[in-house]
Amino acid sequence: MAFTATLSSGSGAATIHLAGELDASTAPDFHEAIDDAVATGAGRLVIDASELTYIASAGLRALVFARQKVAEDVVIAITGVTEPVLKVIRMAGLDHGFAIATS
Amino acid sequence: MPRISASLDSLDQVAGYVLTLAERAGLPSCLTDRLRLAADELATNIVVHGYGEAGGEFAVEGGMDGDSVWVRFEDDARPFDPRAGLRCPEYGVPFGQRRIGGLGVYLALTAVDGFTYRRVAGRNISTLRILRDGAHEKDQRTCAG
Repeated sequence: MAFTATLSSGSGAATIHLAGELDASTAPDFHEAIDDAVATGAGRLVIDASELTYIASAGLRALVFARQKVAEDVVIAITGVTEPVLKVIRMAGLDHGFAIATS
Repeated sequence: MPRISASLDSLDQVAGYVLTLAERAGLPSCLTDRLRLAADELATNIVVHGYGEAGGEFAVEGGMDGDSVWVRFEDDARPFDPRAGLRCPEYGVPFGQRRIGGLGVYLALTAVDGFTYRRVAGRNISTLRILRDGAHEKDQRTCAG
């Protein structure tokens, strides 16, 4: 399954760009990117989901992992969320834990 | 009935099978997304909790009838009713303290209109069913927009 999680950082923010399909087989790559992002010590974590076409519970688990891993005052923003992905986030009741911007 | 190796790398194959079925059945994209999510979560469950490191094989088949499209999984892993691991989202719990084990089963069962589990002759048989008319769409929480 095609999936990439690419980390970049600058201006006090770490950005993880997700592309493709995030399921149990690809979630470890996302976890790794989250670990790397946390290690930068940035005060803001941006998850660019504009090219994320699918998310399963393993991906949601990674999002919760990110929330639990960073300090409370670190804002996690999920940007460019597509409708199918947003529906799953809502279904799981996780839409209030992040600053979510749709595409 | 396609037989599939019980590994996470096989999830792609399950998705491909379900997406092809949904297309043949003429399901709209919202319902296709739901069926694919439910099938993906159940397959993940079979791989991770059913067989675990022991590995094995499972079968997936699907079809359609008058008002619904269905997908059935069969495996010979230990007896395992997916509903046993169901845990609803902890809406009232502070976000940073949430446990989300069991979320996959919750998503699978929430996404479809029907689910049955049977243990027959040493096999686990789980069937997902989604209504073609999108009755589920009325649930704003699960299919908003």
